[in-house]
Amino acid sequence: MNRQSLRSKIVVSIFGLAMLFPFIWMVSSSLKVGAEAFATPPTLIPKHPTLENYRRVFEIIDLPRLFLNSLIISIIIVTLQLTTASLAGYAFARLHFRGKNAIFVVYLATMMIPFQVILVPMFIEMRQLGLIDSYLGLILPTCTSAFAVFLMRQVMLGIPRELEEAAILDGASHFRLFRSIALPLCVPTLATLGILGFMGTWNAFLWPLVMIYSPEKMTLPLGLALLSGEHSSSNDWPMIMAGTTLSIIPIVIVYLLFQRKIAQSFLTAGLKG
Amino acid sequence: MKGRKVKIWAAGVVGILAGGVGLVGTPVHAATKTTITYYTFSAAPDHTKALNAMVAAFEKKNPTIHVVVQNGAYGDYFTKLKTRIVGNLAPDTFELNFENFVPYALSGTLLDLNSQSKKDKTFKKSAYYGKAYNVFAMKGKQYGLPASFSTVVLFYNKDLFKSAGVALPNSSWDWSDEIAASAALKAKLPEGSYADFQPVQFFEFYKTLAAAGGKFFNADKTKVLFNKAPGIAALNNLINRVKDGYMPNKAQLGTVGEIGLFTTGKLAMIHTGIWNFDGFKDLPFGWDIAVEPGSVSPSNHFFSNAVVASAKTKHPEAAWKWARFMTSDPAAVKIRIAASWEIPAVSDKKALAGYLNNPLPANRPAVFEALKYPTVPPVIRQQQQMQDAVSAWLEKALNGSVSVTEALNSAASDVNALLEKE
Amino acid sequence: MLSPIKWIGLGNFRELLHDASFHQALFHTPLFIIGYLPFVYIAGLSAALALERRFRGSSALRTIYFLPVITSWIVVALLWKWILNPENGLVNSILASIGIDGPGWWTSKSWAMISVIIPSIWKDLGYTMLILLAGLQAIPPEYKEAAAIDGASRRQILYKITLPLLSPASFFVIVTGLISSFQVFDQVYVMTEGGPEGSTSVIVQQIVKNSFDYGRMGYASAMSMILFVVIMVITGIQILLQKRWVNYE
Repeated sequence: MNRQSLRSKIVVSIFGLAMLFPFIWMVSSSLKVGAEAFATPPTLIPKHPTLENYRRVFEIIDLPRLFLNSLIISIIIVTLQLTTASLAGYAFARLHFRGKNAIFVVYLATMMIPFQVILVPMFIEMRQLGLIDSYLGLILPTCTSAFAVFLMRQVMLGIPRELEEAAILDGASHFRLFRSIALPLCVPTLATLGILGFMGTWNAFLWPLVMIYSPEKMTLPLGLALLSGEHSSSNDWPMIMAGTTLSIIPIVIVYLLFQRKIAQSFLTAGLKG
Repeated sequence: MKGRKVKIWAAGVVGILAGGVGLVGTPVHAATKTTITYYTFSAAPDHTKALNAMVAAFEKKNPTIHVVVQNGAYGDYFTKLKTRIVGNLAPDTFELNFENFVPYALSGTLLDLNSQSKKDKTFKKSAYYGKAYNVFAMKGKQYGLPASFSTVVLFYNKDLFKSAGVALPNSSWDWSDEIAASAALKAKLPEGSYADFQPVQFFEFYKTLAAAGGKFFNADKTKVLFNKAPGIAALNNLINRVKDGYMPNKAQLGTVGEIGLFTTGKLAMIHTGIWNFDGFKDLPFGWDIAVEPGSVSPSNHFFSNAVVASAKTKHPEAAWKWARFMTSDPAAVKIRIAASWEIPAVSDKKALAGYLNNPLPANRPAVFEALKYPTVPPVIRQQQQMQDAVSAWLEKALNGSVSVTEALNSAASDVNALLEKE
Repeated sequence: MLSPIKWIGLGNFRELLHDASFHQALFHTPLFIIGYLPFVYIAGLSAALALERRFRGSSALRTIYFLPVITSWIVVALLWKWILNPENGLVNSILASIGIDGPGWWTSKSWAMISVIIPSIWKDLGYTMLILLAGLQAIPPEYKEAAAIDGASRRQILYKITLPLLSPASFFVIVTGLISSFQVFDQVYVMTEGGPEGSTSVIVQQIVKNSFDYGRMGYASAMSMILFVVIMVITGIQILLQKRWVNYE
């Protein structure tokens, strides 16, 4: 048994290096200028590291402002998504009501149409609501996520009913069951959705692109897009790498914060608590 | 514990909502000042400072008008622009390049600027470079004021030519001179370096077609003519140079790209736009430009960007003032030249002299020489469809999947089908 | 898009019947899914199983496996186009050193789709791992402990206990994976732009091209309706089939 697990540790570590490589390459490219940036094969450790690319990113776009905007929007959207997904997931997993399956299928169906197609109708709807160029217009269409609801439903379906039976005998309401039994057991899933939701909103491009006009309200991906010029063959790749490197730092932080919660084996935690 | 955390979160969210960090749309400004928007793709990333300087100069001259600049990246510019137009929220003024201009003009999206220029006593259209001004007119209506123009020239790496002992290109070269030099260079250049580059795509094709004495459309634009002898000669000239190893193929270009190859000293010649002047100014080797080699007749690219106004703008007069200022006011022209932001589309020789005074490249007059024989892009309403159809067949010919004649005939029938629907 | 809307009945659908580039895209998309989905699932599952238990460096490895997920496709594509460059790329250089003439990868019509699939698996396996890890945590350790006491081998525990109990999470990964890979677009756009010669063009690319580049919203919507029906039918089949293999509670 131990030999086998040692072997698997070695394999995941070797693959880990392969997974890490592009990331290192990105950071290293962002520190290069001139001919070295185009060298084939690329040098992994820059010979003449420089922060010039980062300086240019700060010069071209108002990075602190963009970061703050994206952070506020992402936190609000993720909070709303987790709230709506856990409640809806519980309803689909545990409640019995007419048309439940039909509604669930409609939820799934919303994932099946490419966003590019509903972009224009949704934009017109937002205009009628007077929400163009506002954060509310960015948040409203994304405050629920069919993907998150689906995952919460799957996980809640997997919770053994025995865990709830005692509470049901005590006459607990559904909301109590949700809050004190289902929700604590779903912490790893919530953490997973937190990471994925944050990543999704942090990187969201198309919807903010058409919704936001004012430069001071722009989100980070809109700002980063401005680092590419009209003639793509003349793009300054090292500078774009610098912008990209900066933009993924917050996602790494969120991932590190939440991933501890995923590791927590929740059933035992639930049984003991 | 958990409950408290949730409450803190909720309080935070409500606080942010109430704090109004831009959650709700901006209230309309009081009527004392007219605010117009300007949506543009050509300023970011390199020329945002220059554009801001133009706006500042404009607002100083017109204290009652406030211009809000909205920068967009070229790759997404038209997606956003179309959505805004469909949503009835078009920017007051925006930028269009000539090849994308026609569909907008035809759909009634653009303001006829003649309605404003008539009222503007100091306006003279002779202030503009004639060709650039005229291409933005359609059926007697002027839909845009040209802000800049640009062309494509032959850039060359002097050091590579000298080390290979090959005579430097000059503006009287024709295709055979270029091929002869490429062959001589190829024999001397090390592995991984290339003699020449010219992309095999729509834009190069219509230009070289004209150089070979061909026409893209017939006179009334009902049929294409590019699949005749000049078209075949033009496409062969492009493709054979890849086949003969003078130009790098797709894999050899790799992720470095043609500009990367040139700036790292691995490409002796490259056909590319004068918009690279600024990016090339610190190259560690000697370089210069020449007018592109032609064949039967000289033919050079003519690209132009214009400032247009929305037909639905509430402030047509302010939009006009801004468009006029940005494109031809001496203050704006000066800023544009200082920033090497393409060439201002004005006729004033003195203003343009400033452009020639820039030290690099030494042969700057070649830019104006090239513009004596301008070939404008062929444009139709279904522009993108046409470009994609032609590009797809050029690619097949380049890969050798079909013959050059076959590719051009197929492209011709695809474009003819589009013309029927115009 | 800029011109006024006109009622044309089933005209768009009739045109789709004869649109060769749409048919091509309709055919390429399942090709992508077959090459992508089983492998990204198996790779993600293997990573999740290997990193489920804590050991020194396990949480660092989990983070590392997730890094490609958060790295933007623009960066990933640049790198992979170099790795898979037929002239001077990493893979073909290695192959050449052992005497093999490597394929044309993204410059070849027959290898381009594989050149899109490999980076996609590489990029998304950390995502599959993350969801399956959360699912694995949901399996009460008592079950496995009891089986081990009864003398079950590791393999038996994996196939008889872990995988069946993980099936709700697997079901989720496969259903959402199918839905999203029918809508594959980003990686194709940055790796090959649908080329060479349309050999990697996919449905959403046709939709985007028609709606935004060509301004043909109605035509693009007709394409989406077909895509929608295909995804709906396949998801419906999966929901019906889940009773056979998905184990709730």
